[in-house]
Amino acid sequence: MILLLWVCTIFGLLPIGQDTVSLAEVEVFAPAIDKFAQGQKVQILEKTELEIYRGRSLGDLLQERTGIFVRQYGAGMLASPSFRGTSAGHTALFWNGLPINSPSLGQSDLSILPLAGIDQAAIQFGNSGALFGNEAIGGSIHLETKSEFGKGFQTGISQQFGSFGLANTYLSTGFSSKKFSSKTRVYRESADNDFTYQDLGQIGTPEVRQQHARFEQSGIVQDLAWNLNSKNQLKTAIWWNKANREIQPVMGSNTRDQQEDQSLRAVLDYFLFGEKSIFNLKTGLVRDEQVFNQSQNNTTQYFASGDWDKDFSSNWTAKIGARFTLAKGDLSTYQADDQRLELYQSTRFSPSETISLSLNLRQLVYSGTFAPFTPSLGMEWKIWQGKSQTLDLKTSVGKGFKVPTLNDRFWNPGGNPDLLPEESISGEIGLNWAKTGKINLTQGLTYYRMQVDNWIIWLPKGNIWSPENIRTVRNQGIEYEGKASWETGNWEWKADASYTFSKAIPTKGIDENDPSVGKQLPYTPKHQANARISADHQGFSGFLGTFYVGKRSVTADNPRQMPAYQLWNLGIGYQNLKWGKLDFPLSFQINNILNSDYQVLYLRAMPGRSYQFNLSIQL
Amino acid sequence: MKLKLHQSIWAFALIFILFACDDSGSERPLGAYETGILIMNEGAFGSNDGEVYHLEPASGFLKQNIFETENNRPFAGLLEDMVIEGERLYLVANTGKVEIVNSGDFKSRGAVAGGLDQPRSLAINGNKLFISDYGPYDASYNTPDSYIAVVNGLDGGAVGKKIQVSNKPEDLYTVGKFVLVAGSEEKSLQVIDSENETLTKTLVVAGSPTQFFTIGTQLWLFAPASDKVYFHRINTSNFDLTETLEMAIPDATGKMAIGNNGRIYLLTSTGWPTYEDAVASVSIPNSQPIVKELITGSGFYGIGFDQNRGELYVANAKGFQGNGNVTVYNESGTALKTLDVGRGPSGFMMR
Repeated sequence: MILLLWVCTIFGLLPIGQDTVSLAEVEVFAPAIDKFAQGQKVQILEKTELEIYRGRSLGDLLQERTGIFVRQYGAGMLASPSFRGTSAGHTALFWNGLPINSPSLGQSDLSILPLAGIDQAAIQFGNSGALFGNEAIGGSIHLETKSEFGKGFQTGISQQFGSFGLANTYLSTGFSSKKFSSKTRVYRESADNDFTYQDLGQIGTPEVRQQHARFEQSGIVQDLAWNLNSKNQLKTAIWWNKANREIQPVMGSNTRDQQEDQSLRAVLDYFLFGEKSIFNLKTGLVRDEQVFNQSQNNTTQYFASGDWDKDFSSNWTAKIGARFTLAKGDLSTYQADDQRLELYQSTRFSPSETISLSLNLRQLVYSGTFAPFTPSLGMEWKIWQGKSQTLDLKTSVGKGFKVPTLNDRFWNPGGNPDLLPEESISGEIGLNWAKTGKINLTQGLTYYRMQVDNWIIWLPKGNIWSPENIRTVRNQGIEYEGKASWETGNWEWKADASYTFSKAIPTKGIDENDPSVGKQLPYTPKHQANARISADHQGFSGFLGTFYVGKRSVTADNPRQMPAYQLWNLGIGYQNLKWGKLDFPLSFQINNILNSDYQVLYLRAMPGRSYQFNLSIQL
Repeated sequence: MKLKLHQSIWAFALIFILFACDDSGSERPLGAYETGILIMNEGAFGSNDGEVYHLEPASGFLKQNIFETENNRPFAGLLEDMVIEGERLYLVANTGKVEIVNSGDFKSRGAVAGGLDQPRSLAINGNKLFISDYGPYDASYNTPDSYIAVVNGLDGGAVGKKIQVSNKPEDLYTVGKFVLVAGSEEKSLQVIDSENETLTKTLVVAGSPTQFFTIGTQLWLFAPASDKVYFHRINTSNFDLTETLEMAIPDATGKMAIGNNGRIYLLTSTGWPTYEDAVASVSIPNSQPIVKELITGSGFYGIGFDQNRGELYVANAKGFQGNGNVTVYNESGTALKTLDVGRGPSGFMMR
């Protein structure tokens, strides 16, 4: 029974490495993200999707394949996610179950989370404070490494070259038996980012070459897992990443800022598989070191958690757990610690085969202060099931919260120790329709509403900026996604499209005359869309993708609107090139095919058309 | 095609008329911005959205973003200062450039685009521009390498010599062949010989000098300290101090405006954390200063005075979350009207 949970599929003989004994492929256990997320929208980005974007970034992937808006400060520069009209600090980010947002900034830079370090990204939309805790207000991103038992020896090297000095190298090697699994990845990515752009900050707006946006990062990922016996599993993952960036100046400025980010993340999981139950002990460490010019900001987080997940009967499942976090900040202007303890429970009840309900509860205490108690309630109901069609209704309501960051509370000068946590409440309802047949179709439509109170804003007090709980923001929107797949002869086709409408309107501002009240939040597009069609034919593959980002205002009172833009990308590949036991998958991509001139943020230049060539050798 | 031809005929005719006017000498048409009030909006850090608004005070007509309107490109900088000299208006961006436009119509004439770090202000002497610059930050965000950059040519170009001066130079003032420097951090008045581009004199003064101003024929230097302000009168032949007036006005920000009848308006701010802003009015009959608190509030970011209409302009940055506003007061401190202006309004030029 337990094995069923973690045995994926048995593929039989390995396609390569004929000398090794044939072993059953067994995935190393990872708790499902959506087990108690009834009524919420979860989008899984699998390894094949990640591979398409590997030479680019997690930010590009999220912008182009999900309804998230990613605020990009230039090529390879700071990229922060915005879900459903919330801010970057309203996204919880996890790596193998550890929350990895910086405790001082309360957010993450997607540009320095290279896709080479992960095997899967799951995106959960909407408030989920009860399920995922702090900062899961707009949504959460779950990055996972995955490894398997019984795969024998595998290795590969991959090299990418591209426009603007792109040169990326990836090495991967692993060995696994039934009892033990090890996977090591080493990567180095670099780009000169010396693209040309029209410099609006100069007389005559000449076309100039970007001089100061060089990017390079390298890292190692090590995954290990042991089956101690049939009931005990131990696994660990370690990720070290170091990025060096020249910070691309905003047009009109000639800054020469340098930023170095170094992160070490480590997690150790112990699983005890019992009678219809799983007990998990987790410890972890996240160390972030940032040097901006010569100013150094370091934080360390230590985690210890335990939870117990039990199927009480065929229709009752529950999980209960606790997590302790110690966050230590050693920043250029202050030193501060924060201790957090949180208790959580999740219950799923399935009264019939067509209905399941979940109730999640969480209470977090930080430095002796109680964060808002967060419950959530969700339901999934298969309203209708035909021969080849199903119609599902999903709905959920819940609360979320954000603890003021270390910088919010302790930055010297200006930090405000009296800040309250931000608090949110939200609800959503969605319909999903799926049809199988000659053409497989799925269509989903979600409506959400949310309110965030005590939204923290930094305001100047003379020369010093200080944060306050000021804003109240109401968000609502509609998300549509549709997918289709079909075959014509030897051709396999897939097509998908999504559209997001998002309104995020402050109802309370700095004062009663605040002109931002009633207007869309800055850098929050109301309209976004993306689509892709792809085809596979006897080892050949190709795709054509596009995405659209609507108008966004630069400031809260909306006088200046950034124009909408739509970009197109194209990729082709061939998988069947072989020589002996070696595979040589090849691929080629063109990004921004139409060489569109666009800015995501005001006066931040973005690259035009670029080419990228990937060559791999796999054993 | 026909349309284009028509357009070119019109353009040609227009040029002809303009030239004709120019030839007739004194009949030169007034540029759109030659009268009225220019409102300087600094812009927000990281956005480089500084801009200039133009107000016609009689009609109340306000024109937004005149740099972008006239040049079809954004200003793309944080606007620190505006300096006018004849037909040229210098827009000093502390993000590292100086844009030079026609003072009448705001059309771009040139720029100092490279070689600057954090320019603050500018003075013209002969055929040279002198630009005060904080210089680059060091590891602890100090600016030990402040300088005055010299540019040959009034329409910009490359930076020639950089004259090392005391830290954080602010305002500059030309007297004959000399350029005076208000050295704010090291409390100095420095003198540069514009011909051989060297520092000829350094005088340590009370307070942190920020601005030169004239009343009648007298040249003064304004220098606030934490609990008082100083006004130093400068002897323009040897650059010594003739007299110093000291007033117990705490928390002056260094921003000031000259009113009518020798009155001076100072912006004060208690800063973080209490943060109370005010405008103090100072008049000095018979060297006996009379100080009074005229207006109080928060978010005051710039001050100006329209001597023709006897009206005081106070800019409010409104937290830089979006655009700021300007409130116009009469001389007794009664608010007359409020205008919505650009982001981070920080100063005025009365024309």
